[in-house]
Amino acid sequence: MLQKIGKLAASLSVCLIFVYVFLPYLTESVDILNRMSQYLESNGIDPTRYYYTDVVQVKEAEDYLETVLDR
Amino acid sequence: MAQTDANIVVDHGRSSWSDLWTKEDYLAIWLGFFVIAVSLTAYFGFGPKEEFASKIEAASQIQSAEAAKAPFKTITWYNAEADKKKLKGTGTAFGKFVTHWTKHPGSWKSNPVDSLIRSEAQAKALNEKAMPAFEEAKGKAAAALAAAGQAEEAAAAAAFKDPALNDGAAAKIKNWQAAEKKAGAAKAKTTQKAYNYIPGLIGLCAFFIVIFGAGIVLMKKSFPDFAKGFVIVFLVAVLAYMLGGQAISKQYGFGAEAWGILLGMLVANSIGTPKWVLPACQVEFFIKTGLVLLGGEVLFGKILAIGIPGIFVAWVVTPIVLVCTFIFGQKVLKMESKTLNVVVSADMSVCGTSAAIAAAAACRAKKEELTLSIGLSLVFTAIMMIVMPAFIKAVGMPEILGGAWMGGTIDSTGAVAAAGAFLGEKAMYVAATIKMIQNVMIGVTAFCIALYWCMRVEKQAGKTVGAGEIWHRFPKFVLGFLAASILFSLLDSSLSKGMADALLDNGAVKGGTKLLRDWFFALSFAAIGLSTNFRELAKYFKGGKPLILYVCGQSFNMALTLTMAYIMFYLVFPEITARI
Repeated sequence: MLQKIGKLAASLSVCLIFVYVFLPYLTESVDILNRMSQYLESNGIDPTRYYYTDVVQVKEAEDYLETVLDR
Repeated sequence: MAQTDANIVVDHGRSSWSDLWTKEDYLAIWLGFFVIAVSLTAYFGFGPKEEFASKIEAASQIQSAEAAKAPFKTITWYNAEADKKKLKGTGTAFGKFVTHWTKHPGSWKSNPVDSLIRSEAQAKALNEKAMPAFEEAKGKAAAALAAAGQAEEAAAAAAFKDPALNDGAAAKIKNWQAAEKKAGAAKAKTTQKAYNYIPGLIGLCAFFIVIFGAGIVLMKKSFPDFAKGFVIVFLVAVLAYMLGGQAISKQYGFGAEAWGILLGMLVANSIGTPKWVLPACQVEFFIKTGLVLLGGEVLFGKILAIGIPGIFVAWVVTPIVLVCTFIFGQKVLKMESKTLNVVVSADMSVCGTSAAIAAAAACRAKKEELTLSIGLSLVFTAIMMIVMPAFIKAVGMPEILGGAWMGGTIDSTGAVAAAGAFLGEKAMYVAATIKMIQNVMIGVTAFCIALYWCMRVEKQAGKTVGAGEIWHRFPKFVLGFLAASILFSLLDSSLSKGMADALLDNGAVKGGTKLLRDWFFALSFAAIGLSTNFRELAKYFKGGKPLILYVCGQSFNMALTLTMAYIMFYLVFPEITARI
C-alpha cells in the first residue's frame, strides 16, 4: 500500500510541478506568453471555458455586432 | 432473432412504459427538466417580470427617440442601454440564493486556499490595492464622457446634418464607451467580498446525493452504495476546480475538466479507486443530465448574429469537415473504433469539449475514447491559441479574417476569445461570435450522430431496421437535449431582446441551468478519471491514429475555414466587413 501511495504522490507531484512550476517559468521566459498572460488577466478572459455562455466576451461581441450591423 | 452483440441492431423493438422511470436516459431528461422547470418558474413566474418589462420599455423608447434624432448612437442611447443591462434575474432573491449554493472553488494565484476562503481583511486589502487603478480609470471615463458630450453638442448644433461633426461625435462616444468598460472592470476589482465556500459545498454535495440518488433508486441500484462513493467523486471534482482555478493553469486551458480526469486517473492507476467508490461513478447519468441542461443554452436565434457570412463559416464548413474527417478516419486511417473516430471528428470540427461530450453520449462511445478526444483537444487548443494570433500578426492578415479563422478552428470558446483578444478587439468580436454560432451546432450534431448510429453503424449487415427498432435504440436523452433547446429558443425569440437578456440569459440560464450543468460535467469528468485504466486508454491510442486523425482533420478545417472566411467576408459580403 505504501508503494502505491508513493506512486500516487510521485505522479501527482510531476503533474503539479509541470503546471505550477514549469508553465509559470515558461510564461515568464517567453515574451509573447508573458504578454498574453497579463492580457488575459487584465481582461478577465478564461481560456478553459468551453461553451459560449461561460465566456463573458461572447456577449460583448454579440452586443457590438448588433450595434454596428443594426440588427 | 438472436442478438449476439449488444451494439448490433436487430429488429426486435422492445420498449416498455417502465423505461420512463427506470432507464437512465429518461431519468436524465426528467432531472434536467425538473431543474429547467424550477428555473423558468422562479424567474418567469415569480420574478420581477412586469418591473423589468416597464423599465426596458422606457429605455427602448428613449433609444428610439435618440435613433430618430441622430444618425449615430448618442450618449443618452448608451445610457439607456446600460440601464437595460443592469436588469438581471440573477439579482433577485432566488438568483442570489441559487448562485450562492452552487458556487465552486474560484480563481487563485499563489495560495490554493484562496479558491475556497477569503477573509474580510483579505477582501479589504484587495479592494484597497485596486482602488488607485479604479480612480484613474474613473477619471479617464469622466474625461472621455465630457469630450463625447462636447462633440455631440457640436453635432446637435448643426442639427446632425454635418457628416464630419457626426463622425467626430461617434468616435468620441466610442472612446467614452471603451473608457467606461475599463472603469467597470476596475470597479469590479474594488468590490470584492469575503467568502467561505465550504458550507455551501457540503450542502451542494448533499443536494446532489438526493437528486441523483433518487434516479439511482429508480434504476434499482443501491442508494447507500451510491451516496457513500459520491462523496469521493464530489471531492475529486472540488479539487479539480481548485487546481484548475490557478491563473497560469487557466492560461494554458488546463481547467477543472482536465484536472478532474487527471486526478481521477492518478488515483485509479496508483492506489486504485476503492471498490465502494465505483457505484458513484455514474458517468453517463451525470453527462446526460448535464447535456439536457446544456440544451437550454443552444439557442437557434444566435446563428444569425453575424449574418450570412457567419452561417457559411460556422454551419457549412463545420459539417463538411466533420463528415470528411470521419470518412478519412474510416477509409484511409482505418480506425478500429468508429465511436472514437466520430468523437475526435466532432470535437475537432465543432467546438471541442462540449461537442465531444455530446457526440460521445450520442454514439455511446467509451469513456476512454472521450478522455482521449478531450486530451487531444486540450493540447491543440493550447498550441493554436498562442500560435494562431502570432502567425496572423506576422503575415499581416486582416483582423476580421483572422478572427473568423480562429473562431472557426480553435476548439474551446474561452480559448477563441483569448486568441481573438490578443489579435485585436474586432478580431475578438468576430472570433467569439463565429464560435458561438458553431456552439449552437452541437444539438444538430448529436441528433444526426445518434440517428446515424441507430440506422447505419449498429445495423446488422444485410438487414433492414424498422422505425420501432430505431426508436428503441435511439438515445432518448438527445430528445430531451433538443426539447430543451427548442423550448429556450422559442422563449428567446418570443421575448424582446432586453427581456431575453434579463430573464432568460441572466436568469433561467446563468442563474439556474448553467450553474448545475457546470457541476454535472465536472462530476462526470471526475468519475471518468476514477474509472479509467491507463492500459485501456493506451489501447485506443494504438499507432497514433487518433493524433493523425486530429492533425489531418484540423489542417483541412484550417484551410477550408480560411478560404470560406475570405470568400464570405471579403468577396461576397465586404459591406458587412466594412461595418464591423
